[in-house]
Amino acid sequence: MLNNGDIILSVKDLHVKFSLRGKVLNAIRGISLDLHKGESLAIVGESGSGKSVFTKNFIGLLDKNGWVDSGEIWYYGMDPDHPVDLAKYKTEEQWQTIRGKEVAMVMQDPMTSLNPLKTIGWQIEEALKLHQGLKGEAASKKAVEILQDVGIPEAERRAKQYPHEFSGGMRQRVVIAIAMACNPQILICDEPTTALDVTIQAQILQLIRNLKEKYGLTTIYITHDLGVVANVADRIAVMYAGDIVEVGTCEEVFYDPRHPYTWALLSSLPQLGIKGNDLYAIKGTPPNLFNVIRGDAFAPRNPRALKIDFEHRPPYFDVSPTHKARTWLLDPRAPKVDPPEIIRHIRNIHVGGVEE
Amino acid sequence: MLRRVTLFSLSKRKKEDEKVAKYIVKRFGAALLSLFIIITLIFCLLRLMPIEGYLGANVDKLSEEVIAAKLAAKGLDKPVPVQLFNFYRNLARGDLGKSWIYRENVDIVKIIKPKIKISAKLGAMAMALSLVVGIPLGALMARTKGKWPDKLGTGFIVFLQAAPSAVYFLFIQMYATKGTGLPMLYNDSKPISWILPIISLALPSIANYGMWMRRYMVDQMNQDYVKLARAKGVSNKAVMMKHVFRNAFVPMVQTIPSSLLFTIMGSLYVESIYSVPGMGGLLIDVIQRQDNTMVQALVLIFASVGIIGLFLGDILMVLVDPRISLTGKGESR
Repeated sequence: MLNNGDIILSVKDLHVKFSLRGKVLNAIRGISLDLHKGESLAIVGESGSGKSVFTKNFIGLLDKNGWVDSGEIWYYGMDPDHPVDLAKYKTEEQWQTIRGKEVAMVMQDPMTSLNPLKTIGWQIEEALKLHQGLKGEAASKKAVEILQDVGIPEAERRAKQYPHEFSGGMRQRVVIAIAMACNPQILICDEPTTALDVTIQAQILQLIRNLKEKYGLTTIYITHDLGVVANVADRIAVMYAGDIVEVGTCEEVFYDPRHPYTWALLSSLPQLGIKGNDLYAIKGTPPNLFNVIRGDAFAPRNPRALKIDFEHRPPYFDVSPTHKARTWLLDPRAPKVDPPEIIRHIRNIHVGGVEE
Repeated sequence: MLRRVTLFSLSKRKKEDEKVAKYIVKRFGAALLSLFIIITLIFCLLRLMPIEGYLGANVDKLSEEVIAAKLAAKGLDKPVPVQLFNFYRNLARGDLGKSWIYRENVDIVKIIKPKIKISAKLGAMAMALSLVVGIPLGALMARTKGKWPDKLGTGFIVFLQAAPSAVYFLFIQMYATKGTGLPMLYNDSKPISWILPIISLALPSIANYGMWMRRYMVDQMNQDYVKLARAKGVSNKAVMMKHVFRNAFVPMVQTIPSSLLFTIMGSLYVESIYSVPGMGGLLIDVIQRQDNTMVQALVLIFASVGIIGLFLGDILMVLVDPRISLTGKGESR
């Protein structure tokens, strides 16, 4: 499944910095990641870990005070033989060739991501005009088609309505319709269901999954909801303090996590807690990214941290061809450290399940 | 199915139109009622003033008969409700009465009409100028937020708002007439003499429109839908024009009818330094001279203008903002 020929986006040692109140913040600290055509990747991590900032680099929407300090973002979607380096894109004109057309985005809050003064149809047609060269009658017809495609009933009538006449779930469908009107290769979903209520969440996730299959999209989900991840993702990247600490298939990360942060994250899931025990909480706070971080960023909060974790930053160690983690625990010289009880528990469930 | 949908929406639209018409009638009725209350209150309050004010300087030397005759001539001998009734009866005929003191026994309509014309003419042109300059100024500042055009504009606006207007009005009158050949005083038949008063009238509103336009645009620029539009691939310029500018203009729209109508009040200071025979300061003048009929007439006019302006503003809002519906509560979907 993961051969190198079908890579659509390849990030190499990306560093992104922000200037805030005269100080420099290291938001992304050397991420390398390959995205494969047609896959569904979930990026998980707590607030402030840099999930959104990381993906904003693919569409040129970093806030004005942020910049790519070093690294490469190779995009293969336009011409696989001549990839372009998005990290070097500076001007609006350059980004116009990527935004929408190649990479589209669904944002978190559907209540605010539509222009309140324009009809739904108009907002979809705007994208159609830009990316599919449609005009007038043809554009409005296509807009209605797309609305039907994302599951909006009475699309013809609804296209003439304004955002305030739609519910939250319906608005998110419209936002997705706008993204689809761009006809992109990669769809970034930035917490697409956070602002919706639970019953609607599943519908929206199902919709995105159907569209992905139908149009062969590559999707990136940004979320801190591991329940969402299990539903939609082929692969998971776990982010902590501006770095991807572990990446692997859904199965690998959920059932055989290797990084202590992933352990901690999974241990704090209420669904996985053991009845009668207190719910696990990660102690301490994430590091201040204004400071230079030595060693493993998670070490100060990790009760199982080794001495080397405080001194040298771990490289990626391969667990399997698809699974790697940035932790010294995987070094052959490291002492054997047992994961927390809950993680061992999950492993057993999984192994048991396979044996049955 | 499709046909049914369109039929349904048509009948719905018709219903909505009826509701809008009903709403307008209701609002109009409420406006008339407010006007009636304002006028009646003012009328009654004015009657509480000492009658000596109406009789001139040598009140003491007048005989009782002369005083009674003078009051009778003004209709003040009758009880207040009768006076009020007479006032409304004349008003219904379009007669605002005669001035008592300002220009004795001249029809008020005749006094005010040419003055309103001049003030409104200058005011409307000044307003057009301030919109044409102020709105693009604010838009430019928003687009260059934090850079030098924005800083320069902010300096300009702060100066106009903070410095007493007298300072720059006089400055303009003194220095702009030198070398340019622009006349220092207003002359109704020479449009070239209108230029400086219009500029002076426009300056404070330029600052005002510029400030608000910048602020509303900056507000809109930070909205999620603007980010989504950019993520769609809409160019910066198009985002600014189609999304940000349009949406920022909506809150400005509401005040425009009022501002335009209020130009008939004239400007006390600008009109006096250029000796423009407009409405500026007329109300204050007639209040001081206790010319009650003039006060009533002016209050009536200004109050109507205020109420009509608000009403037109509301209607304009409905036209530009689909979220606002005149049909009011209970009908929101």
